[in-house]
Amino acid sequence: MTHVSIQELTKVYPGADAPALDRLSLEIASGELTALLGPSGCGKTTTMKMIAGLLEPTSGDVRFDDRSILRDKPEHRGVVMVFQNYLLFPYMSVADNVGFGLKMRKTDSAEIKRRVGEMLDLVKLPDLGDRRPSALSGGQQQRIALARALIVQPEVLLLDEPLSNLDAHLRFEMRDLIRSLQQEMGITTIFVTHDQEEAVVLADRVALILDGQMKQYDRADVFYKRPVDEATARFFGGHNFIPGKSAGGIFDGPLGRLSLADGAVEGAGKLTFRPENVRVGQGDGNNLSAKVADVIYLGTQTRLKLRVGETEIDAVVNPNEVEGFKPGDTVPIHLPPQTLWVIS
Amino acid sequence: MSDRLKIILLLLPAMSVIVLLFFGGLLIGLMRSFNYMPVIGLTEPNLQAYVNVFTNEEFYWSFLLSFHISFTSTLISCVLAVGAALLLRRAFIGRAVINFLFQLNLTVPHLVGAIGILYLFSQSGVFARLAAEVDLIQRPADFPAMVFDPFAIGIILQYVWKEVPFIGVIVLANMQALGENYESVARSLGASKWQTFRHVLLPLIFPGILSASVIVFAFTFGAYEIPALLGANYPAALPVLAYRSYTDVDLAARPEAMALAIIIAILSAVMIFIYIRYSRKRVRS
Repeated sequence: MTHVSIQELTKVYPGADAPALDRLSLEIASGELTALLGPSGCGKTTTMKMIAGLLEPTSGDVRFDDRSILRDKPEHRGVVMVFQNYLLFPYMSVADNVGFGLKMRKTDSAEIKRRVGEMLDLVKLPDLGDRRPSALSGGQQQRIALARALIVQPEVLLLDEPLSNLDAHLRFEMRDLIRSLQQEMGITTIFVTHDQEEAVVLADRVALILDGQMKQYDRADVFYKRPVDEATARFFGGHNFIPGKSAGGIFDGPLGRLSLADGAVEGAGKLTFRPENVRVGQGDGNNLSAKVADVIYLGTQTRLKLRVGETEIDAVVNPNEVEGFKPGDTVPIHLPPQTLWVIS
Repeated sequence: MSDRLKIILLLLPAMSVIVLLFFGGLLIGLMRSFNYMPVIGLTEPNLQAYVNVFTNEEFYWSFLLSFHISFTSTLISCVLAVGAALLLRRAFIGRAVINFLFQLNLTVPHLVGAIGILYLFSQSGVFARLAAEVDLIQRPADFPAMVFDPFAIGIILQYVWKEVPFIGVIVLANMQALGENYESVARSLGASKWQTFRHVLLPLIFPGILSASVIVFAFTFGAYEIPALLGANYPAALPVLAYRSYTDVDLAARPEAMALAIIIAILSAVMIFIYIRYSRKRVRS
């Protein structure tokens, strides 16, 4: 079990104006599964490569259990990285791929054989040892890449977009496999992804990185309920941002006076709420009358574009609740106070 | 027109050149090597030319020399080319210039290279005179024999000079297409730099090295001009031996020249076959 501490980690590529990564600090508890989330080019893969020792940071530090590892060679760091496109060695059998790390450590061949067998059982592909990687499906290659990484019992496991190359039905299977292996073996794990769904589904905690800077580091649900700013909220699918002023638990703005949950920020700011938290019909507090501008049926849900005065509101609701709604209708809605949040 | 017919028609020009020139030449050579040459009245095929070749001691020395030239040139060229490619794939200031210089002699003919070797390395060449000038040796003639020498140093130097960029370009393209991620994976799995090279990069670029080195080996084994210019008189490389018989005043020596040519072709084919068979197994283990 290894506690990972990233301190003010910065990378400026030669000739670049802006740093690829700007003073990233993160504390990752031992055994935790953390996602680095951000759009492509935000510095997440740079971060991983610096932890793995494949790239030299410009400044800052990476510490495992309070010991700096930046001077250690990549092969001595106890960090293994699994790449997005798996990169199984094409000229080796699956079993030789899995046993590669042990062979490099000069483990004797009987022991390698035994542990490769164990790993293949663990990733539930016990019969594929003799195949070539090219004979495997994408999901199988992913499992073998994972087995190849875990066999060397790394202190820290790095995964690059672990679910994004998989079909929808394989994603949950893989998610469960990664989580169960990671917890069983107690390996501190960091993965990067550009897909917020992948981050939410897999991670204990998520670090959102935008433009080389960390915006927020929290449990996944907090990003939906309590985003730190508009960019963060938008990254997680937030649409409603209404300027105004917050004082004493009341938000005063173009929608009138709305009551807020406890602990909201005071002063000038923006009111934000999730589209899925807009309720149709009357409720306890924050009742409004809205005009329907558009109804978009999405199958399992319906998206409503609403207008309250001049202010547009996006809502996502259960299709059954809005059957018969047409553009131009006036409907009652309410915004439950505990779902409202103010960002400065 | 069916696809099949189209393919056949499109391949026809290239195939006819190959068939006429290559197989035609080979066939005529084969016939003559069997003493079958109706023009001068030889109409009874026999194996006399082969018997003559195999009972001549010089043939065996020539074979050893030719093998030594090809094997050593190919090996040294491959090692240097892989090393150069490893350096050239890194980003550094002036890489484009170095890359250009590295590939420059691809365009220089072998003969020009051979003359360069003569000028520089012979016992009356630039290096011999320089060494005598700075009193490393007493007279230029004391310079170690590197041209016309029994170990074929001059020939090998010339081939290495010419073939390193050839193999290097192929290997470099190969490495660049692969990227460095496979090596990153190996490093993070605990392989040292050397292990990463031996167990990951080398097997991955091996197909490129294999085809390039087969071309170089076959070429150097069968090439005439460089051993003719830079080689010792005895033993001579196999192609030189063949050419000598071919230009012999005695027309009866021609079948021997043809027999030698056929033997050269068969020997290179056999050696390349063995090389491909066994090297693939060894590298990918």
